[in-house]
Amino acid sequence: MESIQQLFNGFGIAATLANFLYCLLGAVAGTMVGILPGLGPIAGIALLIPVTFGLNPTSAIIMLCGIYYGAMYGGSTTSILLNVPGETASVITCIDGYQMARKGKAGPALAICAIGSFIAGTLGLFGMVFLAPPLAQAALAFGPPEYFSLMLCGFIVLSNVTGGSLIKSLMMAVAGLIIGTAGLDPVTGEYRFTFDTTYLLSGIEFVAVAIGLFGIAEVLANVDQPLDQLEQSVIVPRFRDLYPSLRDLKASVGAMLRGAGIGFGVGLVPGPAPVIATYASYMTEKKISDHPEDFGKGAIEGVAGPESANNAACQSAFIPLFVLGIPFAPPTAILLGALMIHGVVPGPMMITEHPDVFWGVIASMYIGNFILLLLNLPFVPFFASILRIPKKILLPLVMLFCLTGMYTVNNSVSDIWLMLLMGALGYLMRKRAFDAAPLLLALVIGPKMEVAFRQSLMLSHGNFGVFFERPVSLVFLVATILFLVLPAFRFMIGRLGAGARNDGVAG
Amino acid sequence: MKRAELIEGVVIFLCGGLTAVLSLRMPVGTFRMAGSGLFPLSLGIIMMLLALLYVGDLLLRRKGVQGYSGKAAAAAPGGAVQMLLFFGASALAALGLNTLGYPLTAFLLMLLLLWILGLRRPVLLVILPLLTAVGSYLLFVQFLKIPLPKGLIGL
Repeated sequence: MESIQQLFNGFGIAATLANFLYCLLGAVAGTMVGILPGLGPIAGIALLIPVTFGLNPTSAIIMLCGIYYGAMYGGSTTSILLNVPGETASVITCIDGYQMARKGKAGPALAICAIGSFIAGTLGLFGMVFLAPPLAQAALAFGPPEYFSLMLCGFIVLSNVTGGSLIKSLMMAVAGLIIGTAGLDPVTGEYRFTFDTTYLLSGIEFVAVAIGLFGIAEVLANVDQPLDQLEQSVIVPRFRDLYPSLRDLKASVGAMLRGAGIGFGVGLVPGPAPVIATYASYMTEKKISDHPEDFGKGAIEGVAGPESANNAACQSAFIPLFVLGIPFAPPTAILLGALMIHGVVPGPMMITEHPDVFWGVIASMYIGNFILLLLNLPFVPFFASILRIPKKILLPLVMLFCLTGMYTVNNSVSDIWLMLLMGALGYLMRKRAFDAAPLLLALVIGPKMEVAFRQSLMLSHGNFGVFFERPVSLVFLVATILFLVLPAFRFMIGRLGAGARNDGVAG
Repeated sequence: MKRAELIEGVVIFLCGGLTAVLSLRMPVGTFRMAGSGLFPLSLGIIMMLLALLYVGDLLLRRKGVQGYSGKAAAAAPGGAVQMLLFFGASALAALGLNTLGYPLTAFLLMLLLLWILGLRRPVLLVILPLLTAVGSYLLFVQFLKIPLPKGLIGL
């Protein structure tokens, strides 16, 4: 009951005119960012963090969260209209969404996305209200060994499921941890890797790394292609074609509810939750469908389920961020950075120390979902028209905005240089198929991980057994080992099988 | 492709090695009372081990057997020059920002970037950078009250 009372207080905070407007602004900006192919929620939040510097923490986080779920909504628009996912979680929506658009059903597909996301957001809100406080209570019992094991587990899971090579992802995660050690040692207060420059005394500027690795790298990756190849035909639906039929709605309701459940559960687990949730939902819908042969050819359940799962996962991913202070995915890692910039340290005490931020943001998510429903239903043709801006105009605009935004963080040109350096590095990483997400996540939680590691060893007088003796820590470590060993095992079996086939062919 | 991947592995190994060497200049301490160098030293060693695994896998990989390396992408012909010019113009803007001031730098940067990306119509080449420079100046300096370099023109 106390949670419900607090949620009402949160609605009081989120519904003030100023916060409502920031929520609206964030949702609109996020939708636009999500619509632009390539510029996903990570780049969107990173680019717009500087805009929030003049705001109080609650308004700033409300706006940034609006950008996050707005971008997730917007990402589905390009998937359906262009077959180009605005962000990775929308990849699965391309399969049936684009097929629906080709059959002239872009409107129902977009509307189902909006309705499904709203329903999932509503269910996710109740999940958050009832789950976050007890989880925060449980998290109070977490000591440094549990935190360390949990963060280690998060890294390995993320490295495993980002789609590329596990070893490359692990190298990126370690690189992020190394970069994160620059500056003041969090335990002894000594300076490390500062190379006698004052610029590095406070560590590597996180916003510069985020904008560089994602925003600048994205722009450069677009610029190195012939521009005429980038412009694509856009299917802009008419207003009257926007609404799904009763039959469409009936076919989608079950998929939406299942997607919301799957998404909420997956969001609580370390890793890129929205991506995993959309895949899990799609496979579930295909498996239980009476007409699995329609999947891939424009099945509405193939849009409704994954989009609901996507939204629910985004929402529940805030639970580990807020109550444990640990982001399990790159967008929430950036939000953690933004929270800390605004003086709010997430963790088990956040609910009691910053109830206005915690409950205000949770309530604003519901308001934001409602705003997005209203925006996405009638204004999809307007948002889709952003795609008509030629890239040769859009890319310079994004670059200018990156440079300006970066300068405003500390009024420092050095930050711009660091951002450009990271942009070049991010571009090369893309070209060589290295995923930047583990690096960014490691950079954010690296210092926390180091403190947890060193505190654990201090507590145990240098005995590594402390990580295995405590049950919760042991569970996370076993999960970590499983996630490390299983892909290697699968890989070796695949290699042996392929080797045997090759020998057979040769013989 | 394999040669490039081997070079990647070696570069990453060297980065790990450099981290380890630099960490040894700091107090490492003991596991019981870790010094500031212990964590980065461990990370440097882990990085070197991962790089060795990566290189080892590349060397052991048999022809026709797909390994677990991700697929690298090549830049389009001519695109690399365009990208380098684009990046160079942005670096020039960073270099001139404090001297020229924000509005002038924003105008010149937009002009240059649009030109690099193939926009040749003189009217658009002037109007778009002008609108962008004025718009971003109004947004950041006037509306959000964030100070930006004034430079030569003193705005």
